[in-house]
Amino acid sequence: MTITPDSIIYWQWGGFALNATIVFTWLVMALLTLGSWLITRRLSEGPELSRWQNLLEVLVVGIRDQIAQVSHQQPGPYLPFVGTLFLFIAVANLLNVIPGYMAPTGSLSTTTALAICVFVAVPVFGIASKGPGAYLQHYIKPTPLMLPFNVIGEVSRTIALAVRLYGNIMSGTVIVAILLSLTPYFFPVVMQLLGLLTGMIQAYIFAILAMVYIASATSVHEHGEPDEPEHKTPSDQ
Amino acid sequence: MEINWVTVSAQVVNFLILVWLLRHFLYQPVIRAMDRREQKIRNRMDEADSREQEAINEKHSYQEKLDRFEKEREDLLEETRQEARQTRSQMLDQAREETALVRSHWMREVSEEKTAFIDGLRQQSLDVVETIARKALLDLADERLEERIVHTFIRQLHSLDQATRKALGHSSEPAIIASAFELEPSLRGTLTRALHELTGAELTVNYTTAPELICGIELTCEGQRISWNLSDYLEELTASIEKAFEPLETGKAGA
Repeated sequence: MTITPDSIIYWQWGGFALNATIVFTWLVMALLTLGSWLITRRLSEGPELSRWQNLLEVLVVGIRDQIAQVSHQQPGPYLPFVGTLFLFIAVANLLNVIPGYMAPTGSLSTTTALAICVFVAVPVFGIASKGPGAYLQHYIKPTPLMLPFNVIGEVSRTIALAVRLYGNIMSGTVIVAILLSLTPYFFPVVMQLLGLLTGMIQAYIFAILAMVYIASATSVHEHGEPDEPEHKTPSDQ
Repeated sequence: MEINWVTVSAQVVNFLILVWLLRHFLYQPVIRAMDRREQKIRNRMDEADSREQEAINEKHSYQEKLDRFEKEREDLLEETRQEARQTRSQMLDQAREETALVRSHWMREVSEEKTAFIDGLRQQSLDVVETIARKALLDLADERLEERIVHTFIRQLHSLDQATRKALGHSSEPAIIASAFELEPSLRGTLTRALHELTGAELTVNYTTAPELICGIELTCEGQRISWNLSDYLEELTASIEKAFEPLETGKAGA
Protein backbone atom coordinates (compact mmCIF):
# COMPACT_ATOMS: atom_id res chain seq x y z
CA MET A 1 0.00 0.00 0.00
CA THR A 2 1.39 3.31 -1.00
CA ILE A 3 0.79 6.27 1.20
CA THR A 4 2.13 8.95 -1.10
CA PRO A 5 1.98 9.17 -4.90
CA ASP A 6 5.55 10.48 -4.77
CA SER A 7 6.81 6.95 -4.41
CA ILE A 8 5.27 5.80 -7.69
CA ILE A 9 7.85 6.66 -10.29
CA TYR A 10 7.10 6.25 -13.96
CA TRP A 11 10.31 7.57 -15.45
CA GLN A 12 13.67 8.54 -14.05
CA TRP A 13 16.06 10.96 -15.69
CA GLY A 14 19.10 11.80 -13.59
CA GLY A 15 17.95 13.45 -10.37
CA PHE A 16 14.45 14.08 -11.76
CA ALA A 17 11.89 11.41 -11.13
CA LEU A 18 8.59 11.64 -12.99
CA ASN A 19 6.34 10.36 -10.24
CA ALA A 20 2.56 9.95 -9.96
CA THR A 21 2.20 13.31 -8.15
CA ILE A 22 3.51 15.27 -11.11
CA VAL A 23 1.67 13.18 -13.65
CA PHE A 24 -1.70 13.56 -11.93
CA THR A 25 -1.00 17.23 -11.36
CA TRP A 26 -0.52 17.59 -15.08
CA LEU A 27 -3.72 15.67 -15.62
CA VAL A 28 -5.62 18.06 -13.38
CA MET A 29 -3.94 21.04 -15.02
CA ALA A 30 -4.79 19.75 -18.46
CA LEU A 31 -8.36 19.12 -17.46
CA LEU A 32 -8.81 22.58 -16.00
CA THR A 33 -7.09 24.37 -18.85
CA LEU A 34 -8.80 22.37 -21.58
CA GLY A 35 -12.18 22.75 -19.95
CA SER A 36 -11.75 26.49 -19.51
CA TRP A 37 -10.48 26.92 -23.02
CA LEU A 38 -13.30 24.92 -24.53
CA ILE A 39 -15.90 26.93 -22.68
CA THR A 40 -14.37 30.39 -22.86
CA ARG A 41 -13.62 29.96 -26.54
CA ARG A 42 -17.22 30.82 -27.32
CA LEU A 43 -18.34 33.18 -24.64
CA SER A 44 -21.64 34.92 -24.96
CA GLU A 45 -21.90 38.54 -23.93
CA GLY A 46 -25.63 38.77 -24.33
CA PRO A 47 -28.35 37.57 -22.01
CA GLU A 48 -28.30 34.04 -23.48
CA LEU A 49 -25.78 31.77 -21.76
CA SER A 50 -24.59 28.26 -22.33
CA ARG A 51 -24.82 26.01 -19.29
CA TRP A 52 -21.06 25.62 -19.07
CA GLN A 53 -20.50 29.33 -19.28
CA ASN A 54 -23.09 29.78 -16.59
CA LEU A 55 -21.24 27.27 -14.41
CA LEU A 56 -17.95 29.07 -14.92
CA GLU A 57 -19.52 32.43 -14.20
CA VAL A 58 -21.11 31.12 -11.03
CA LEU A 59 -17.71 29.74 -9.98
CA VAL A 60 -15.81 32.92 -10.75
CA VAL A 61 -18.43 35.18 -9.19
CA GLY A 62 -18.57 32.92 -6.12
CA ILE A 63 -14.82 33.04 -5.68
CA ARG A 64 -14.78 36.80 -6.19
CA ASP A 65 -17.50 37.31 -3.65
CA GLN A 66 -15.66 35.13 -1.13
CA ILE A 67 -12.44 37.08 -1.65
CA ALA A 68 -14.25 40.38 -1.32
CA GLN A 69 -15.97 39.20 1.85
CA VAL A 70 -12.77 38.03 3.49
CA SER A 71 -10.44 40.82 2.38
CA HIS A 72 -12.86 43.77 2.19
CA GLN A 73 -10.93 44.74 -0.92
CA GLN A 74 -11.35 44.58 -4.64
CA PRO A 75 -10.95 40.88 -5.55
CA GLY A 76 -9.30 41.61 -8.90
CA PRO A 77 -5.60 41.14 -8.12
CA TYR A 78 -6.10 38.09 -5.85
CA LEU A 79 -8.57 36.21 -8.00
CA PRO A 80 -6.10 34.28 -10.20
CA PHE A 81 -3.96 33.12 -7.29
CA VAL A 82 -6.66 32.27 -4.74
CA GLY A 83 -9.09 31.01 -7.34
CA THR A 84 -6.53 28.70 -8.84
CA LEU A 85 -5.64 27.37 -5.38
CA PHE A 86 -9.29 26.50 -4.81
CA LEU A 87 -9.97 25.08 -8.24
CA PHE A 88 -6.79 23.03 -8.35
CA ILE A 89 -7.29 21.48 -4.91
CA ALA A 90 -11.02 20.96 -5.46
CA VAL A 91 -10.57 19.22 -8.80
CA ALA A 92 -7.61 17.22 -7.61
CA ASN A 93 -9.69 15.98 -4.67
CA LEU A 94 -12.87 15.43 -6.71
CA LEU A 95 -11.08 13.16 -9.15
CA ASN A 96 -10.51 10.77 -6.25
CA VAL A 97 -13.71 9.02 -7.30
CA ILE A 98 -11.91 7.69 -10.36
CA PRO A 99 -10.33 4.35 -9.63
CA GLY A 100 -6.59 4.30 -10.07
CA TYR A 101 -6.37 8.04 -9.59
CA MET A 102 -4.26 9.31 -6.73
CA ALA A 103 -4.85 12.85 -5.61
CA PRO A 104 -1.68 14.94 -5.95
CA THR A 105 -2.85 16.80 -2.86
CA GLY A 106 -2.28 13.59 -0.94
CA SER A 107 1.42 14.14 -1.37
CA LEU A 108 3.17 16.31 1.16
CA SER A 109 5.36 17.62 -1.66
CA THR A 110 2.37 19.12 -3.45
CA THR A 111 0.85 20.64 -0.35
CA THR A 112 4.24 21.98 0.63
CA ALA A 113 4.63 23.50 -2.78
CA LEU A 114 1.24 25.20 -2.48
CA ALA A 115 2.05 26.37 1.03
CA ILE A 116 5.33 27.78 -0.16
CA CYS A 117 3.49 29.62 -2.90
CA VAL A 118 1.22 31.15 -0.28
CA PHE A 119 4.20 31.89 1.91
CA VAL A 120 5.80 33.83 -0.92
CA ALA A 121 2.57 35.38 -2.18
CA VAL A 122 1.78 37.01 1.16
CA PRO A 123 4.78 39.38 1.20
CA VAL A 124 4.59 39.86 -2.57
CA PHE A 125 0.99 41.07 -2.38
CA GLY A 126 1.74 43.01 0.80
CA ILE A 127 4.67 44.86 -0.74
CA ALA A 128 2.78 45.43 -3.99
CA SER A 129 -0.06 46.92 -2.01
CA LYS A 130 1.83 49.07 0.52
CA GLY A 131 5.43 49.30 -0.52
CA PRO A 132 8.32 47.37 1.10
CA GLY A 133 8.86 49.73 4.08
CA ALA A 134 5.33 49.78 5.26
CA TYR A 135 4.99 46.06 4.74
CA LEU A 136 8.13 45.13 6.68
CA GLN A 137 7.12 47.46 9.50
CA HIS A 138 4.21 45.25 10.44
CA TYR A 139 6.71 42.58 11.63
CA ILE A 140 7.82 44.91 14.43
CA LYS A 141 4.36 45.84 15.55
CA PRO A 142 3.17 46.45 18.20
CA THR A 143 6.86 46.43 19.43
CA PRO A 144 10.11 45.24 17.87
CA LEU A 145 10.12 42.62 20.59
CA MET A 146 7.41 40.83 18.63
CA LEU A 147 9.60 40.42 15.52
CA PRO A 148 10.69 36.80 16.21
CA PHE A 149 7.17 35.78 17.10
CA ASN A 150 5.78 37.34 13.97
CA VAL A 151 8.36 35.51 11.85
CA ILE A 152 7.72 32.22 13.64
CA GLY A 153 3.96 32.74 13.16
CA GLU A 154 4.50 33.35 9.47
CA VAL A 155 6.49 30.14 9.03
CA SER A 156 4.38 27.96 11.29
CA ARG A 157 1.12 28.83 9.63
CA THR A 158 2.65 27.92 6.30
CA ILE A 159 3.67 24.55 7.63
CA ALA A 160 0.22 24.10 9.16
CA LEU A 161 -1.33 24.93 5.84
CA ALA A 162 0.69 22.27 4.06
CA VAL A 163 0.27 19.58 6.70
CA ARG A 164 -3.48 20.17 7.14
CA LEU A 165 -4.26 19.58 3.51
CA TYR A 166 -1.85 16.70 3.14
CA GLY A 167 -3.08 15.03 6.33
CA ASN A 168 -6.73 15.29 5.40
CA ILE A 169 -6.39 13.98 1.88
CA MET A 170 -3.82 11.38 2.67
CA SER A 171 -5.84 10.12 5.62
CA GLY A 172 -8.91 9.85 3.47
CA THR A 173 -7.03 7.77 0.92
CA VAL A 174 -5.42 5.64 3.57
CA ILE A 175 -8.66 5.06 5.47
CA VAL A 176 -10.39 3.96 2.31
CA ALA A 177 -7.50 1.63 1.54
CA ILE A 178 -7.60 0.17 5.01
CA LEU A 179 -11.38 -0.17 5.00
CA LEU A 180 -11.26 -1.89 1.65
CA SER A 181 -9.16 -4.64 3.20
CA LEU A 182 -11.36 -4.87 6.29
CA THR A 183 -14.94 -4.27 5.15
CA PRO A 184 -15.21 -4.34 1.38
CA TYR A 185 -18.24 -3.53 -0.82
CA PHE A 186 -20.26 -0.93 0.98
CA PHE A 187 -18.58 0.94 3.76
CA PRO A 188 -15.61 2.25 1.75
CA VAL A 189 -18.07 3.92 -0.61
CA VAL A 190 -19.50 5.92 2.26
CA MET A 191 -16.02 6.84 3.33
CA GLN A 192 -15.24 7.78 -0.24
CA LEU A 193 -18.21 10.14 -0.25
CA LEU A 194 -17.05 11.55 3.03
CA GLY A 195 -13.63 11.93 1.44
CA LEU A 196 -15.15 13.96 -1.37
CA LEU A 197 -16.81 16.25 1.14
CA THR A 198 -13.58 16.56 3.08
CA GLY A 199 -11.71 17.28 -0.13
CA MET A 200 -14.08 20.12 -1.04
CA ILE A 201 -13.94 21.54 2.47
CA GLN A 202 -10.16 21.39 2.45
CA ALA A 203 -10.00 23.18 -0.86
CA TYR A 204 -12.24 25.90 0.54
CA ILE A 205 -10.25 26.12 3.79
CA PHE A 206 -6.92 26.30 2.01
CA ALA A 207 -8.04 29.03 -0.35
CA ILE A 208 -9.78 31.05 2.35
CA LEU A 209 -6.82 30.82 4.72
CA ALA A 210 -4.48 31.91 1.96
CA MET A 211 -6.77 34.85 1.32
CA VAL A 212 -6.90 35.70 5.01
CA TYR A 213 -3.10 35.74 5.19
CA ILE A 214 -2.82 37.90 2.12
CA ALA A 215 -5.58 40.19 3.36
CA SER A 216 -3.85 40.61 6.71
CA ALA A 217 -0.71 41.63 4.85
CA THR A 218 -2.45 44.08 2.52
CA SER A 219 -5.24 45.48 4.62
CA VAL A 220 -2.91 47.03 7.23
CA HIS A 221 -2.66 49.95 4.85
CA GLU A 222 -6.36 50.66 4.98
CA HIS A 223 -6.65 50.20 8.75
CA GLY A 224 -3.53 52.29 9.40
CA GLU A 225 -4.82 55.28 7.47
CA PRO A 226 -5.54 57.59 10.42
CA ASP A 227 -1.87 57.20 11.56
CA GLU A 228 -0.47 58.25 8.21
CA PRO A 229 1.18 61.70 8.38
CA GLU A 230 -0.08 62.77 4.94
CA HIS A 231 -3.73 62.66 6.03
CA LYS A 232 -4.18 65.68 8.22
CA THR A 233 -7.32 67.39 6.98
CA PRO A 234 -10.18 67.10 9.43
CA SER A 235 -12.62 66.33 6.70
CA ASP A 236 -10.81 63.07 6.00
CA GLN A 237 -10.89 61.93 9.60
CA MET B 1 5.83 11.17 5.24
CA GLU B 2 8.65 12.68 3.39
CA ILE B 3 9.14 15.67 1.22
CA ASN B 4 10.66 15.18 -2.21
CA TRP B 5 12.08 18.62 -2.86
CA VAL B 6 12.47 18.00 -6.55
CA THR B 7 8.79 17.24 -6.72
CA VAL B 8 8.07 20.27 -4.56
CA SER B 9 9.86 22.60 -6.93
CA ALA B 10 8.19 20.90 -9.89
CA GLN B 11 4.80 21.37 -8.24
CA VAL B 12 5.56 25.03 -7.51
CA VAL B 13 6.34 25.50 -11.18
CA ASN B 14 3.25 23.52 -12.13
CA PHE B 15 1.08 25.61 -9.88
CA LEU B 16 2.43 28.87 -11.23
CA ILE B 17 1.86 27.64 -14.76
CA LEU B 18 -1.67 26.67 -13.82
CA VAL B 19 -2.23 30.10 -12.33
CA TRP B 20 -1.11 31.68 -15.57
CA LEU B 21 -3.15 29.29 -17.70
CA LEU B 22 -6.33 29.74 -15.75
CA ARG B 23 -5.82 33.47 -15.65
CA HIS B 24 -5.51 33.43 -19.39
CA PHE B 25 -8.23 30.92 -20.21
CA LEU B 26 -10.69 31.24 -17.38
CA TYR B 27 -10.75 34.36 -15.25
CA GLN B 28 -10.01 37.03 -17.78
CA PRO B 29 -12.43 35.88 -20.48
CA VAL B 30 -15.21 35.13 -18.06
CA ILE B 31 -14.84 38.41 -16.20
CA ARG B 32 -14.54 40.31 -19.45
CA ALA B 33 -17.69 38.65 -20.75
CA MET B 34 -19.52 39.44 -17.55
CA ASP B 35 -18.32 43.03 -17.57
CA ARG B 36 -19.37 43.44 -21.16
CA ARG B 37 -22.75 41.96 -20.44
CA GLU B 38 -23.11 44.24 -17.47
CA GLN B 39 -22.08 47.16 -19.61
CA LYS B 40 -24.62 46.17 -22.22
CA ILE B 41 -27.31 45.86 -19.62
CA ARG B 42 -26.34 49.20 -18.15
CA ASN B 43 -26.39 50.74 -21.62
CA ARG B 44 -29.79 49.28 -22.23
CA MET B 45 -30.99 50.54 -18.89
CA ASP B 46 -29.58 53.97 -19.66
CA GLU B 47 -31.21 53.86 -23.05
CA ALA B 48 -34.45 52.77 -21.49
CA ASP B 49 -34.14 55.55 -18.93
CA SER B 50 -33.48 58.13 -21.58
CA ARG B 51 -36.34 56.79 -23.66
CA GLU B 52 -38.59 56.88 -20.66
CA GLN B 53 -37.52 60.43 -19.99
CA GLU B 54 -38.20 61.24 -23.61
CA ALA B 55 -41.57 59.60 -23.38
CA ILE B 56 -42.35 61.55 -20.22
CA ASN B 57 -41.31 64.76 -21.90
CA GLU B 58 -43.39 63.92 -24.91
CA LYS B 59 -46.30 63.07 -22.70
CA HIS B 60 -45.91 66.39 -20.92
CA SER B 61 -45.82 68.24 -24.19
CA TYR B 62 -48.88 66.39 -25.44
CA GLN B 63 -50.59 67.11 -22.17
CA GLU B 64 -49.79 70.76 -22.59
CA LYS B 65 -51.09 70.71 -26.15
CA LEU B 66 -54.23 68.98 -25.01
CA ASP B 67 -54.72 71.53 -22.28
CA ARG B 68 -54.27 74.32 -24.77
CA PHE B 69 -56.73 72.75 -27.17
CA GLU B 70 -59.17 72.30 -24.35
CA LYS B 71 -58.83 75.92 -23.38
CA GLU B 72 -59.20 77.12 -26.96
CA ARG B 73 -62.25 74.96 -27.36
CA GLU B 74 -63.66 76.35 -24.14
CA ASP B 75 -63.01 79.89 -25.33
CA LEU B 76 -64.60 79.21 -28.67
CA LEU B 77 -67.58 77.65 -27.03
CA GLU B 78 -67.93 80.59 -24.68
CA GLU B 79 -67.70 82.96 -27.62
CA THR B 80 -70.29 81.00 -29.53
CA ARG B 81 -72.54 80.94 -26.51
CA GLN B 82 -72.17 84.67 -26.18
CA GLU B 83 -73.00 85.14 -29.82
CA ALA B 84 -75.95 82.82 -29.54
CA ARG B 85 -77.21 84.73 -26.53
CA GLN B 86 -76.83 88.01 -28.41
CA THR B 87 -78.52 86.66 -31.51
CA ARG B 88 -81.30 85.22 -29.39
CA SER B 89 -81.95 88.50 -27.63
CA GLN B 90 -81.79 90.32 -30.96
CA MET B 91 -84.21 87.91 -32.52
CA LEU B 92 -86.45 88.14 -29.51
CA ASP B 93 -86.44 91.91 -29.74
CA GLN B 94 -87.15 91.74 -33.43
CA ALA B 95 -89.92 89.24 -32.88
CA ARG B 96 -91.35 91.41 -30.15
CA GLU B 97 -91.26 94.43 -32.42
CA GLU B 98 -92.85 92.51 -35.24
CA THR B 99 -95.48 91.17 -32.92
CA ALA B 100 -96.16 94.63 -31.61
CA LEU B 101 -96.38 95.90 -35.18
CA VAL B 102 -98.72 93.12 -36.21
CA ARG B 103 -100.71 93.59 -33.07
CA SER B 104 -101.06 97.32 -33.53
CA HIS B 105 -101.91 96.75 -37.18
CA TRP B 106 -104.46 94.19 -36.15
CA MET B 107 -105.80 96.46 -33.42
CA ARG B 108 -106.16 99.21 -35.91
CA GLU B 109 -107.95 96.89 -38.30
CA VAL B 110 -110.14 95.70 -35.51
CA SER B 111 -110.91 99.22 -34.41
CA GLU B 112 -111.57 100.22 -38.00
CA GLU B 113 -113.79 97.24 -38.46
CA LYS B 114 -115.51 98.08 -35.23
CA THR B 115 -115.97 101.66 -36.23
CA ALA B 116 -117.32 100.54 -39.56
CA PHE B 117 -119.57 98.07 -37.84
CA ILE B 118 -120.78 100.67 -35.35
CA ASP B 119 -121.32 103.11 -38.16
CA GLY B 120 -123.27 100.52 -40.05
CA LEU B 121 -125.18 99.63 -36.93
CA ARG B 122 -125.93 103.25 -36.21
CA GLN B 123 -127.00 103.85 -39.78
CA GLN B 124 -129.07 100.73 -39.77
CA SER B 125 -130.73 101.52 -36.44
CA LEU B 126 -131.36 105.03 -37.62
CA ASP B 127 -132.88 103.69 -40.74
CA VAL B 128 -134.95 101.20 -38.82
CA VAL B 129 -136.11 103.77 -36.28
CA GLU B 130 -136.80 106.22 -39.02
CA THR B 131 -138.66 103.66 -41.06
CA ILE B 132 -140.69 102.58 -38.07
CA ALA B 133 -141.42 106.18 -37.11
CA ARG B 134 -142.28 107.11 -40.67
CA LYS B 135 -144.47 104.06 -40.99
CA ALA B 136 -146.19 104.71 -37.70
CA LEU B 137 -146.70 108.41 -38.43
CA LEU B 138 -147.86 107.68 -41.96
CA ASP B 139 -150.32 105.21 -40.55
CA LEU B 140 -151.46 107.73 -37.95
CA ALA B 141 -151.53 110.79 -40.24
CA ASP B 142 -154.90 112.30 -40.98
CA GLU B 143 -156.60 115.74 -41.06
CA ARG B 144 -156.52 116.12 -37.33
CA LEU B 145 -152.84 115.47 -37.21
CA GLU B 146 -152.25 117.92 -40.03
CA GLU B 147 -154.18 120.49 -38.20
CA ARG B 148 -152.17 119.87 -35.05
CA ILE B 149 -149.02 120.19 -37.09
CA VAL B 150 -150.08 123.44 -38.71
CA HIS B 151 -150.98 124.86 -35.30
CA THR B 152 -147.71 123.80 -33.84
CA PHE B 153 -145.96 125.45 -36.82
CA ILE B 154 -147.87 128.64 -36.34
CA ARG B 155 -146.82 128.61 -32.64
CA GLN B 156 -143.29 128.22 -33.75
CA LEU B 157 -143.61 131.12 -36.17
CA HIS B 158 -144.83 133.27 -33.31
CA SER B 159 -141.73 132.51 -31.33
CA LEU B 160 -139.57 133.97 -34.12
CA ASP B 161 -137.60 137.14 -33.20
CA GLN B 162 -138.30 140.57 -34.63
CA ALA B 163 -135.40 140.63 -37.13
CA THR B 164 -136.52 137.44 -38.75
CA ARG B 165 -140.05 138.63 -38.94
CA LYS B 166 -138.92 141.83 -40.69
CA ALA B 167 -136.70 139.95 -43.08
CA LEU B 168 -139.63 137.75 -43.98
CA GLY B 169 -141.85 140.80 -44.44
CA HIS B 170 -139.43 142.55 -46.83
CA SER B 171 -139.08 139.50 -49.01
CA SER B 172 -139.80 140.11 -52.69
CA GLU B 173 -140.09 136.47 -53.58
CA PRO B 174 -143.05 134.41 -52.65
CA ALA B 175 -142.74 132.25 -49.56
CA ILE B 176 -142.92 128.53 -50.16
CA ILE B 177 -144.58 126.28 -47.66
CA ALA B 178 -143.81 122.63 -48.17
CA SER B 179 -145.67 119.89 -46.40
CA ALA B 180 -145.57 116.12 -46.48
CA PHE B 181 -149.08 115.90 -47.83
CA GLU B 182 -151.54 118.18 -49.50
CA LEU B 183 -152.88 120.82 -47.07
CA GLU B 184 -156.59 121.51 -47.03
CA PRO B 185 -157.63 125.01 -48.24
CA SER B 186 -158.86 126.02 -44.76
CA LEU B 187 -155.58 125.12 -43.22
CA ARG B 188 -153.81 126.98 -46.04
CA GLY B 189 -155.91 130.07 -45.29
CA THR B 190 -155.08 129.86 -41.60
CA LEU B 191 -151.42 129.56 -42.40
CA THR B 192 -151.44 132.46 -44.86
CA ARG B 193 -153.28 134.64 -42.39
CA ALA B 194 -150.91 133.83 -39.64
CA LEU B 195 -147.97 134.68 -41.85
CA HIS B 196 -149.54 138.02 -42.88
CA GLU B 197 -150.11 138.88 -39.23
CA LEU B 198 -146.68 137.90 -38.27
CA THR B 199 -144.78 139.77 -40.93
CA GLY B 200 -147.22 142.69 -41.37
CA ALA B 201 -146.96 142.27 -45.17
CA GLU B 202 -149.01 140.69 -47.93
CA LEU B 203 -146.73 137.76 -48.68
CA THR B 204 -147.51 135.51 -51.55
CA VAL B 205 -147.50 131.97 -50.30
CA ASN B 206 -147.07 128.94 -52.58
CA TYR B 207 -147.93 125.50 -51.29
CA THR B 208 -146.03 122.36 -52.31
CA THR B 209 -145.79 118.82 -51.03
CA ALA B 210 -142.56 117.17 -49.88
CA PRO B 211 -143.02 113.60 -48.60
CA GLU B 212 -139.48 113.45 -47.17
CA LEU B 213 -140.54 115.86 -44.43
CA ILE B 214 -142.40 113.07 -42.64
CA CYS B 215 -145.53 114.68 -41.54
CA GLY B 216 -143.73 117.99 -41.22
CA ILE B 217 -144.09 121.45 -42.62
CA GLU B 218 -141.49 123.90 -43.86
CA LEU B 219 -141.38 127.58 -44.76
CA THR B 220 -138.67 128.72 -47.13
CA CYS B 221 -138.38 132.44 -47.89
CA GLU B 222 -135.49 134.90 -48.51
CA GLY B 223 -132.90 132.24 -47.74
CA GLN B 224 -134.66 131.61 -44.39
CA ARG B 225 -136.01 128.25 -43.50
CA ILE B 226 -138.37 127.58 -40.72
CA SER B 227 -139.64 124.11 -40.30
CA TRP B 228 -141.24 121.67 -37.99
CA ASN B 229 -141.15 118.07 -38.82
CA LEU B 230 -140.36 114.67 -37.42
CA SER B 231 -136.95 114.73 -39.10
CA ASP B 232 -135.72 117.05 -36.39
CA TYR B 233 -136.85 114.64 -33.72
CA LEU B 234 -135.29 111.81 -35.65
CA GLU B 235 -132.07 113.80 -35.86
CA GLU B 236 -132.18 114.14 -32.09
CA LEU B 237 -132.87 110.41 -31.79
CA THR B 238 -129.89 109.70 -33.99
CA ALA B 239 -127.74 111.96 -31.89
CA SER B 240 -128.84 110.22 -28.73
CA ILE B 241 -128.21 106.78 -30.28
CA GLU B 242 -124.74 107.87 -31.32
CA LYS B 243 -124.15 109.11 -27.81
CA ALA B 244 -125.20 105.72 -26.54
CA PHE B 245 -122.60 104.04 -28.81
CA GLU B 246 -119.80 106.37 -27.80
CA PRO B 247 -118.74 104.62 -24.53
CA LEU B 248 -118.74 101.32 -26.45
CA GLU B 249 -116.32 102.75 -29.01
CA THR B 250 -114.02 104.44 -26.55
CA GLY B 251 -114.03 101.37 -24.28
CA LYS B 252 -113.04 99.05 -27.18
CA ALA B 253 -110.39 101.45 -28.42
CA GLY B 254 -108.85 101.68 -24.95
CA ALA B 255 -108.72 97.88 -24.55
